[in-house]
Amino acid sequence: MQKTVSLTVNGKPVSATVEGRTLLVQLLRETLGLTGTHVGCDTSQCGACVVHVDGEAVKSCTLLALQAEGRSVKTIEDVADGDTLHPMQEAFRDNHALQCGFCTPGMIMSALDLVKNNPDPTDREIREYLEGNFCRCTGYHNIVLAIKAGAAAMRGAPVEPHGAAAE
Amino acid sequence: MTEIGTPVRRREDYRFLTGQGTYTDDINRPRQLYAYILRSPHANAALRGVDFAAAAKAPGVVAVYTGKDIEADGVGGLPCGWLVHSKDGSPMYEPPHPVLAQGRVRHVGDPVAVVIADSLAQARDAAELIQVDYAVEPAIANAAGALRAGAPQVWPEVPGNICYDWHLGDPAAVEQALAKAARVVKLDLTNNRLVPNAMEPRAAIGDFDRATGEHTLYTTSQNPHVIRLLMGAFVLHLPEAKLRVVAPDVGGGFGSKIYHYAEEAIVTWAAAKLKRPVKWTAERVESFMSDAHGRDHATHVELGLDVDNKFVALKVSTIANMGAYLSTFATCIPTYLYATLLAGTYTTPVIYAETKAVFTHTVPVDAYRGAGRPEATFLLERIVDLAADELGLDPAELRRKNFIPTDAFPYQTPVALQYDSGDYFSTLELATKAADYAGFEARRADAARSGKLRGIGIATYIEACGIAPSAVVGSLGARAGLFEAATVRVHPTGSVTVLTGSHSHGQGHETTFAQLVADGLGVPIEQIDIVHGDSAKIPYGMGTYGSRSLAVGGTAIIKAMDKIVAKGKKIAAHLLEAAEADIEFKDGQFSVAGTDRSKTLGEIALTAYVPHNFPHDELEPGLDETAFYDPKNFTFPSGAYVAEVEIDPDTGTLEIVKFTASDDFGRIVNPMIVAGQVHGGLAQGIGQALLENCVYDHSTGQLLTASYNDYAMPRADDLPSFALSTHATLCTHNPLGVKGCGEAGAIGAPAAISNAIVDALKDYGVRHIEMPATPEKLWRAVHPQNMAAE
Amino acid sequence: MEMHGELRIPAPRAEVWAKLNDPETLKTCIPGCETVDKISETEFTAKVVARVGPVKATFAGKVTLTDLDPPSSYTISGEGTGGVAGFAKGSAKVSLDDAGAETVLRYGVQAQVGGKLAQIGSRLIDATSRKMADDFFNRFMGVMTSSDGAAPAS
Repeated sequence: MQKTVSLTVNGKPVSATVEGRTLLVQLLRETLGLTGTHVGCDTSQCGACVVHVDGEAVKSCTLLALQAEGRSVKTIEDVADGDTLHPMQEAFRDNHALQCGFCTPGMIMSALDLVKNNPDPTDREIREYLEGNFCRCTGYHNIVLAIKAGAAAMRGAPVEPHGAAAE
Repeated sequence: MTEIGTPVRRREDYRFLTGQGTYTDDINRPRQLYAYILRSPHANAALRGVDFAAAAKAPGVVAVYTGKDIEADGVGGLPCGWLVHSKDGSPMYEPPHPVLAQGRVRHVGDPVAVVIADSLAQARDAAELIQVDYAVEPAIANAAGALRAGAPQVWPEVPGNICYDWHLGDPAAVEQALAKAARVVKLDLTNNRLVPNAMEPRAAIGDFDRATGEHTLYTTSQNPHVIRLLMGAFVLHLPEAKLRVVAPDVGGGFGSKIYHYAEEAIVTWAAAKLKRPVKWTAERVESFMSDAHGRDHATHVELGLDVDNKFVALKVSTIANMGAYLSTFATCIPTYLYATLLAGTYTTPVIYAETKAVFTHTVPVDAYRGAGRPEATFLLERIVDLAADELGLDPAELRRKNFIPTDAFPYQTPVALQYDSGDYFSTLELATKAADYAGFEARRADAARSGKLRGIGIATYIEACGIAPSAVVGSLGARAGLFEAATVRVHPTGSVTVLTGSHSHGQGHETTFAQLVADGLGVPIEQIDIVHGDSAKIPYGMGTYGSRSLAVGGTAIIKAMDKIVAKGKKIAAHLLEAAEADIEFKDGQFSVAGTDRSKTLGEIALTAYVPHNFPHDELEPGLDETAFYDPKNFTFPSGAYVAEVEIDPDTGTLEIVKFTASDDFGRIVNPMIVAGQVHGGLAQGIGQALLENCVYDHSTGQLLTASYNDYAMPRADDLPSFALSTHATLCTHNPLGVKGCGEAGAIGAPAAISNAIVDALKDYGVRHIEMPATPEKLWRAVHPQNMAAE
Repeated sequence: MEMHGELRIPAPRAEVWAKLNDPETLKTCIPGCETVDKISETEFTAKVVARVGPVKATFAGKVTLTDLDPPSSYTISGEGTGGVAGFAKGSAKVSLDDAGAETVLRYGVQAQVGGKLAQIGSRLIDATSRKMADDFFNRFMGVMTSSDGAAPAS
């Protein structure tokens, strides 16, 4: 069964012909070539595929492409402002919150969702929120620091000295 | 200019932060086909037939291949890279390891057939139509069980399922010392089986260029040249000159992406057969049943102490699960990377270790972060703690009493290794101070007042990294050299490209290596490019494993830079009309000693490539040097970890209140990256101690933990933030004095956590809790009456 | 896994026994069963759509009756493969006893799965098997108590 789906991706209208079973993440990666969104599991737990759908963080492996009809999807490719990193991306870089980089796009999309709803999260809140995003490299230590720093930058608070370099 | 010791922010981050990394599954080749691999649902079954007629006719299907096609084309089996001999001198048993099953499947996940179609969905749909006639037979998943009389045989020609029965040390001397010991402490323990779980599932794309006859494999590998060698020479019989292996951005490895896997050979072979690119990407459930697993030891240990509480002998007997086939480096893990570490940080004068490696109907087991060293550290640090407990001693004091003295280096252990440097007292001091070890009893009492059980645990560790001196490992059965290669290419205007065999898949080589070059050649870091991962570009390199990249790969870069500087001095001497011996090189300038006459590296490079005024009778043009570095010895990072935990006796839930680590990695080039490596290692070590466990149903060999539903990965809210410190004693045999930091956390953390748990439960008569120490196990330990009821 | 149960059926033993050996009744009562074809007195082929957690698959397989002791007891065994979903096999030992005009049916069920079903759904197997057994015997009770004694439409 082939059907056409029309949606907005990173601010641009797109249409594609997909099968009923095609997942949103497959549409993004395979049809649209947006390979920044990753697939790390097949049970919707790892969070490498998190994107924003109408402003909410969604695991794009849990949504059929057809379910995104008429919606607005934002992926990691649209987070930076041209060549200038978003403050959250900058905070990840400055705090060494990524190593292999595979979980990173999902982490950033989740972090942005967290901060949207909770502009000044505590360590505990960050750790609990990240329950659906696995990272095998960093032990999460620097991710927690980065999200705190990114949140501070986003709300215009003075940025505390980063933890990573202080080690 | 010095970049060494500076937390330079990573140069690779921009592409990862913006979704522009290029992982293998992100690559698509024109006219690409997709492979889906049908895997066995049975642990042990004869293949009576594979009926794929319907699948072959399904929409989009281009080909269906089985073991018969592999055999017909003369495709070889996957080789094992290390030959171990048994006690009696006989070589280990090396079973065939076909890339598609031939007549029998031996573990759940063993590949049976591959369907290749225009789309992945079509390949998967067609695989549903394949009828496989299995004659299912009894299976054995557990290594101790496989040794029992009457156990199912994995290989009919291997009676008792024993791959090898190996040993190290002098058994008579150890027995004698144990007989005379004032006390002998004994423990049986298991080191739980783990699944590495790099977040990027394995993937491979085979490509074939009809015009040039060149085969290309894009693969998720830590060591593309090793794959090229193994696959080209042993499996597909392709000349290396016509086989290119590219490992692009790789999403974590932790050992699991060292090995040569069947899927790499399948896509390369099929692409040449079909004259079209073929892509395969693992689903996570496939990763669980096809990536090499880690650990899985069952061990009996005895430690003898004299009346002064000095260790007098250690005896270790281990059963190691190999799985159904031998993975690339499987055989050296429970032997040369394990028993040789059993001296740990201590002066134990005699040690005897024996290891039975056992075949079972499970996925092959190989190196996983730490590889043998976590297993050695775990048993040693558990038995030392148990000894302290039995003797009523402070575990820190018992350790100090038995540490190798700081002035005793180089120190020859009774298990083959010679440690070049170390200072175990200082790291223990740093860790116990930072953890406020002295003040712990007050915190235990506080916790007890709110009904909680608090415990503190220490673990020290030593590891052998910087793998490895080729001649040494060759004499021990390695079938590969373990040097590293680097090319430093200074371009005509002075920018630099470094080609390194050390693949980076999270370790930040593109930054750390650039720091070395910025420091060594005085070139701004922005003008240095680090290239790795493509066998068509880089010199023959051995890749990334065993915490070797800086100690071996970094040293190769230093050696290549030395050659650049030596040649540059000759060119500068010519241009400056001075004696070569008078030329000094510093901060990117070649100058005549004691004068203000100098030439920049860029000027020297331009002269080398535009050699109008050049010492042609003495030198060749160009400024491009390659070095192969073979280390003289292993490096020996060490450290001390302190874990403090609190257990709720009503629920068995455990909280890590504080985790303190103090490590000796030698000189540190980028402290930010080093801290990140420690964090990640600790998370995996804590994961092993508290959460992760690969479970097989022992009666059927079914893999019961094959998704994140059932395999407990450490999540952010399972872990604490970590308190780190370092104390450096320099490695004495590499120019940087570096030791390696990638595996430390995974090596030291399990014992520290386990020791803390046993300390917390000491009033309940607990001697040992097997990993992972789940809330259920902890709850049962404090409610022993309920155990009987179960 | 193993489970046991019993139910009291308001019908004479011979009638219960006959229904337990009737392909149409089996088809009606096995949850998700699409076809049952008799190939001998003690062998049937069957096609069953089963769902375990996230895995849904069509199992094609064989049902065999062994340990036959009419009209008192038998063992009914099924073994099916669900393609890449793996395989499932199970058996139920069923015995009948007279209880006045009624019959007491006792059963003991064993089930085992492999492949993806075990990997992803192993924690759900017990609950799924229990539900399938309950469904089977509830439907069987329905067959035995419907007014005309014929299988109800499924």
